[in-house]
Amino acid sequence: MTHKRQRKRSIFDIMSDYVEDFKTWAEEMIESATSERPSWDIESCSLEPLCNIFVTTKEVVVTADLPCIEPKTVRVEAIGEDLIEIEAKMKRKVHFDDFGITHRKGEFSAFLCQTRIPVPIKLEQMKVSLKHGILEIRLPRKKGYEIKVE
Amino acid sequence: MSQPVRIIEKKPIPTEALMLHGLPDVGLVGLIATSYIISELDLDEIAYVDSDLLPPVVVLHEGLPHAPLRIYGGKNIIATISEMAIPAAAIHPVMRKLTDWAQSKKVKMILSIGGMPLENRQDIKEPKVFCAASNRDLLDMLDKKGLNILKEGYMVGPQALTMRYCAERKLSAIVLLAQSFYNYPDPEAAAVAINELAKIAELKIDISKLLEKGEEIRLRARDIMKRTQRELTQMKKSREYDLPLYV
Repeated sequence: MTHKRQRKRSIFDIMSDYVEDFKTWAEEMIESATSERPSWDIESCSLEPLCNIFVTTKEVVVTADLPCIEPKTVRVEAIGEDLIEIEAKMKRKVHFDDFGITHRKGEFSAFLCQTRIPVPIKLEQMKVSLKHGILEIRLPRKKGYEIKVE
Repeated sequence: MSQPVRIIEKKPIPTEALMLHGLPDVGLVGLIATSYIISELDLDEIAYVDSDLLPPVVVLHEGLPHAPLRIYGGKNIIATISEMAIPAAAIHPVMRKLTDWAQSKKVKMILSIGGMPLENRQDIKEPKVFCAASNRDLLDMLDKKGLNILKEGYMVGPQALTMRYCAERKLSAIVLLAQSFYNYPDPEAAAVAINELAKIAELKIDISKLLEKGEEIRLRARDIMKRTQRELTQMKKSREYDLPLYV
């Protein structure tokens, strides 16, 4: 009986495989957590706005696209240390019918979403502005401690 | 072996036409601009793209099924749009097939419209439009007409492949990129792209209705933008922020 001699895999190959597996797992997790739910909620009569987070060395910038809203009704609220809620009332109620959709019933009167901030921030120094229907929330990052270089 | 991508023609295809590409990309600029042009010129659906590489989706309009990736035509114009984010894995074969098909239909020029992400877009009132061309003569023509030329940088996605395949086949192609939001639908950017288009092609389109409907378009385009954003990440679209090395 002959045996094919297997080449010994280097630690780098094993690490590379591990990183690839982890990336695939992380992508699947993100996909399952974010993709399979609608961008609207009948119970709260709200639409989920498109929202993005940018983390820079000094601050975290959260933006949200809020078309068709009444600017005075925009509300940004801190819920805990790392979660903020954005809400804005729309100028008029929107129905599924408005999109030509007749097989669903429901109306929407607001945008509503919650966003988790991935790094520690100074919530009390939050600055909020609204330009061209884009909400911008700026949150300064909390500093840690300095380590001296020997 | 069956072809990975097929174009099914439903009506006669105009020859010597100008072909517009408006595929989902940054700010959905190309899709919004091209859809508006199709509506304003009242173009007919003349063909569609079929492929196992695309998700098994049909779009129902007025109760009837349509392929998400469709080709419209009439008045010496052919326009391609997709109501679905094209998966990153399908972009190469789809763009190659569209370019081959355009060549077989003796298309005069391919004009691909897209967005160029701008970090502080909300602070800009009128976005600028930049362009690139598949050959030197076209680039000189654009320069003479006063358009902003994209001199250095990376281009990623459908426009990049249009440029590459057209240059290989010696076909005329221009890419128009309007400064836009990266991941929010940007009808204003689409409107300025249409205005710049008028300088290149004899195609005057009144953009006032597009600007009026801007907020409504942003409202309705949320889902396609969200899915497009995911595909842009797969395509490494953020590479457009990188600086190229040219020694």
